[in-house]
Amino acid sequence: MIMSKLWHIIKHEYTRHVFRKRFLFSLLSPPLAVIAMVGVALLVGTFSTDTTPVGYVDHSDVLDNPVRQDVSNGVFDPMIEFQPYQEEDQAQAALESSQIQAYYVLPEDYPQTLNVELVYQEEPGTSIQSQFSDFIRQNLMAFENLDPAVKERLSEGSLVTMAALDGSREMREDQWYLIFTPLIAGIMFILVVMTSGGYLMQAVVEEKENRTMEIVITSVTPNQLMTGKIIGNIAVGLTQLVIWLVFGWIGLTVGGQFWPVLQDFSLPTNFIVVLLLILLPSFVMIAALMAAIGSTMTEMREAQQISGMFSLPITIPFYLSSTIMMNPNGLLAMVLSYFPLTSPVTILMRMAFTVVPAWQIALNIAILVIFALFAIWFAGRAFRMGMLQYGKKLSIKEIFRKSVQ
Amino acid sequence: MSIINVSNISKRLGNTRAVDDLSFEVRPGEIFGLLGPNGAGKTTTIRMILDIFKPDSGEISVLDGPMTEEKKNHIGYLPEERGLYQDIPLDRCLTFLATLKGMDETIASAELQEYMKRFDLYEYREKKVKELSKGMQQKAQLIATLIHDPELVIIDEPFTSLDPVNTEMVKDLLEMKRNEGKAIIMSTHQMNQVEELCDRILLIDHGQRVLYGTLPEIQSHFSSRDIMVTPLSTLPDSIEGVSEIRKLNGRYRLVLEEHAEPNKILRNLINQGIELTKFEIAVPPLNEIFIKVVREQKGDDHV
Repeated sequence: MIMSKLWHIIKHEYTRHVFRKRFLFSLLSPPLAVIAMVGVALLVGTFSTDTTPVGYVDHSDVLDNPVRQDVSNGVFDPMIEFQPYQEEDQAQAALESSQIQAYYVLPEDYPQTLNVELVYQEEPGTSIQSQFSDFIRQNLMAFENLDPAVKERLSEGSLVTMAALDGSREMREDQWYLIFTPLIAGIMFILVVMTSGGYLMQAVVEEKENRTMEIVITSVTPNQLMTGKIIGNIAVGLTQLVIWLVFGWIGLTVGGQFWPVLQDFSLPTNFIVVLLLILLPSFVMIAALMAAIGSTMTEMREAQQISGMFSLPITIPFYLSSTIMMNPNGLLAMVLSYFPLTSPVTILMRMAFTVVPAWQIALNIAILVIFALFAIWFAGRAFRMGMLQYGKKLSIKEIFRKSVQ
Repeated sequence: MSIINVSNISKRLGNTRAVDDLSFEVRPGEIFGLLGPNGAGKTTTIRMILDIFKPDSGEISVLDGPMTEEKKNHIGYLPEERGLYQDIPLDRCLTFLATLKGMDETIASAELQEYMKRFDLYEYREKKVKELSKGMQQKAQLIATLIHDPELVIIDEPFTSLDPVNTEMVKDLLEMKRNEGKAIIMSTHQMNQVEELCDRILLIDHGQRVLYGTLPEIQSHFSSRDIMVTPLSTLPDSIEGVSEIRKLNGRYRLVLEEHAEPNKILRNLINQGIELTKFEIAVPPLNEIFIKVVREQKGDDHV
């Protein structure tokens, strides 16, 4: 019976937010904004990429029998045609008549010096330059007079791997996303917490404003009501998160067609687990605090002002990001990562820029869990008292004083 | 057996004594009027019965013992301050509130159909609550109070914003519930409704019991020794045993001498050949009793 009532509260709380236009807006606007931004960037990129052929003059014989693999990187990075010329004069003439947009000159001693010369009127884009160096590299491999050591290095490619001194963490050049993921997770966390926490606070204030509270409270216990509301709103937040992740996944899959580098994206499982262990209690803690504010306030406007004061400490680590980035194990970073409200974002940022010892992460999670439980208790108290004082504000001191009784 | 037994409860709210050593009981199969001027402590008393907060002292027994979560399913409450979820459709709102009373969702929505038809709300069931008129919201709230067929109904001003047709319908419904043996506590300032519906009343002021008993008991306690007569012709200038004759709009109020008996006066009038269409002992309307008692209380305060 009690479980079924709780279930009904969760369901009610969930549906009343999720099936509203407002939710749809907050759900779709960030991905749409990203799509719009990427779209604009792509359009600009496509139109600014010059697909005119590029010429080359080879005095070194490296490109005598040129081989070229298809290095097409998708529609936004099309393969440029490379046009051989015997002499610089011819190439220069072609450049001046705009048949080519630039030309490379490989001097006779190129295999020793590896120096090339690029002649242009307007500098070609980086993608053209990297296509040309790929082209030379492929042909150098086949070139006989090359130092074997250079050949070996060429065949391995350049993949730089950085490792922490204790070997606990490695970072490879092509895993750039391991730095960005904690940061993006932090931003998504703030967005989700703020919207669904805001809903929760609003739900509580509304119930007080429209007096539904008195009916509800003579049907269920305050704790049931609060628990149901918090779970319902966390479900709203998770829905939001899951839908964003689906968007992200679609983005990566579709984007992978155009930028193969995105196809490498994969996250280690333990990283995801740590992320969840940090974010879930943080979420509960903030939701419960929002509910507590809602219980003590009598007007929505007031409640929003107070909750604004709350969101500040949550986002503060972002404002201080340069300091944290420069010194992720410094005093400021440490202090912020143990203070419950700043903790979630700070610890994520530290995870991005340094190796955080496991015990520190564990301590952080423990602090967050304890504060989450405390916040639920506090919300229950605040609610029970706020309930009885229609039209009157409730001070934090009062809640504590009466809680002791 | 009583549904509610309140003994000697007191409650301070801030510096005021909202309820002061109050005792009463409510029995099954009765409509119990809880009356009193604004700020008398009615709502505080109701909230204590419902365990929204506890009395500082005294005992409350509801449905045979202290309040439990299970008992909340057998209580229907229409608070003074009205409220429903505004942004969701009416049927979803009411179904949700019914499930909070422990009703199964399918049973609740079937029952709800019946109630909405009876209250002429059926065609508005998919409208958002905030789009409904005040009277409709009031009816919706009455449905939320009664849908789970509670043993104990506590309603605060049930007739505000209702038109005469709906008022009659709600009255019939309450009488039906009474006849089924449910107990109904009704708090209202509409004294005519109390006279029509209530079996017993409790009038409180300053948190204290001022009047308590059946309606006839209380009225006879306050009745003066007056007789109201409506004759077809005029009355004689003097009647034996009557000290004063007051003419009021086609009727007469006869103020009796100290030992005069109403029966003798009736016989006397008939013997004189005066035809009467109406002869009754003047019962003071509850309204008058209310005003008189509350004024007296105020007078006491000044002393």
